Amino acid sequence: MRNILTIALKELRSYFVSPMAYVAIGFFVFIYGYFFVVSLNFMVRVSMQAGMMGGPQAINVNEYMVRPLLGNMAVVMLFLLPALTGRSYAEEKRSGTIELLLSSPLTGPQIILGKYLGALALFTLMLGVTFVHVGVLFLYGEPELGPILSGYLGLWLMGGAFISVGLLISSMTKNQTVAVVGAFGTALMLWIVSWIGDPSSGSTTTEVLAYLSILDHFDDFSKGVIDTKHLAYYLSFITFGLFLTARSVDSERWRG
Amino acid sequence: MIEVQHVTKRYGPVTAVDDVSFRVDSGQILGFLGPNGAGKTTTMRILTGCASATEGQAFVAGYDVFEEPVEAKRRTGYLPETPPLYPDMTVREYLAFAARINGIRSVAQRERVAAAMARTNVEDVADRHCGKLSKGYRQRVGLAQAILHNPDVLILDEPTAGLDPKQIIETRELIKELAGDHTIILSTHILPEVAQTCERVVIINKGRVVAVDTPENLTGRLRGSETIRVQLDPRGADETAVVQAATVPNVSNVTATPTQDGLVTLEVQCEKGADVRSEVARAVITSGWGLLELTSMRMSLEDIFLELTTSEEPREEDAEAPEATDA
Repeated sequence: MRNILTIALKELRSYFVSPMAYVAIGFFVFIYGYFFVVSLNFMVRVSMQAGMMGGPQAINVNEYMVRPLLGNMAVVMLFLLPALTGRSYAEEKRSGTIELLLSSPLTGPQIILGKYLGALALFTLMLGVTFVHVGVLFLYGEPELGPILSGYLGLWLMGGAFISVGLLISSMTKNQTVAVVGAFGTALMLWIVSWIGDPSSGSTTTEVLAYLSILDHFDDFSKGVIDTKHLAYYLSFITFGLFLTARSVDSERWRG
Repeated sequence: MIEVQHVTKRYGPVTAVDDVSFRVDSGQILGFLGPNGAGKTTTMRILTGCASATEGQAFVAGYDVFEEPVEAKRRTGYLPETPPLYPDMTVREYLAFAARINGIRSVAQRERVAAAMARTNVEDVADRHCGKLSKGYRQRVGLAQAILHNPDVLILDEPTAGLDPKQIIETRELIKELAGDHTIILSTHILPEVAQTCERVVIINKGRVVAVDTPENLTGRLRGSETIRVQLDPRGADETAVVQAATVPNVSNVTATPTQDGLVTLEVQCEKGADVRSEVARAVITSGWGLLELTSMRMSLEDIFLELTTSEEPREEDAEAPEATDA
């Protein structure tokens, strides 16, 4: 456990001594703020329209504001997280520092978990900073806390899944750019994989593809539902990603 | 302390290391010699757990590097060809990290880091970033990292590469000093370095061990015949010296070459193992010539190296066959 922590802290530190962490957190929070305003305007417009139609003006903040906001942030994560994990293994392999880790008395899983937790910690921090916006929401409105928290949990799990994909791709190459593009491509594919199926047909293939889609599992979280089915999906996704990373790192010992 | 048994490493059709076996006893320094691409680095990476072997076994400090890698690695210090430094860490931070991943924490960590820095002479750059260091300092910080946890076994891949002559001497001294408590394998291109620092030499070429021996024996073993070079002043005397030298027992051939400044150089070849120097000297003196210089021309390690690594395949097999059992 201490070994994992040592690696995790080293990873986290490497994000903060380079502009990486600041750029990532900065842009994430900035874009969050932008979407916050966009969603707010949207909600106000809907609310006013409802008022003009003679309906009730008080619109559900969770449904009309938080849910689209978190949905948009999921897309931002799709772009941002592969960039975070791209250097993880690729850079160590390029500069040869991986040999320091490989020749030290650390086990493969310790190194992988350390790297994973390091990236996850930075992502958690990114997500944590956006609670400032949520605070503003509570200051001026009356949103429900539950769905917000479950939405964040969904985002966090989805981010964890992206990071495990990123780590896997990064462990396969020495080139950071390849790692970033590869991880983005893979994550995007997992995102849109269900689109090819025909929902009306109800065939097994469609169902399997829908189950694989990283996005479909997020939906319930943002509605305020924490379903074990989706928890299991993300957790097994992450575990499988890390397992493949371990295999990939190990295979490197055979090839090089 | 280190035992390598029939280790083979293949990358697809390419065989990088072919049935390599050798042993290093506790406290010894073993020199690993071979041209680029001979398989030195691959063998070292296998020993340190950075690469796996296709076949064979390897033991470090009694632990099988494939079966009990963590225990073996705990007792191994490794300096790869490129020192594995994190450019954004200062030397002190880097060594502290290296100490932590080797399980050295809290109080002991500071002491070990300070001791390793003192030993490798990098204290004056302790707070500089690793990325900003000169090649010489990088190499020494890498060495500090390798000796930090006081391992039984040190594996150094070209430890003196990129150092200036003064640093090379210092590093060699350091390596010799370390040999007492540590068992060391070092690879190098610099042949005199092997003669100066190592007790045993493994010459490896195209993935195969070509020779294993002490540097002295290697230089001795490969001489088919010995040559003595004699520089003479003719002083107007006749050529009797040449004739005289040729009559000395065990001398097989004498060639005389006049030099530009009126002197004569004799190359006296004799049977292997016979020391004819004093007889040749006497023969020259009695002939009335002036004896200016008499040098025994031992084959340098360079010659041996070239002979072993560039000769044709069958010869290589000859040289290798008895050595494999010797190892």
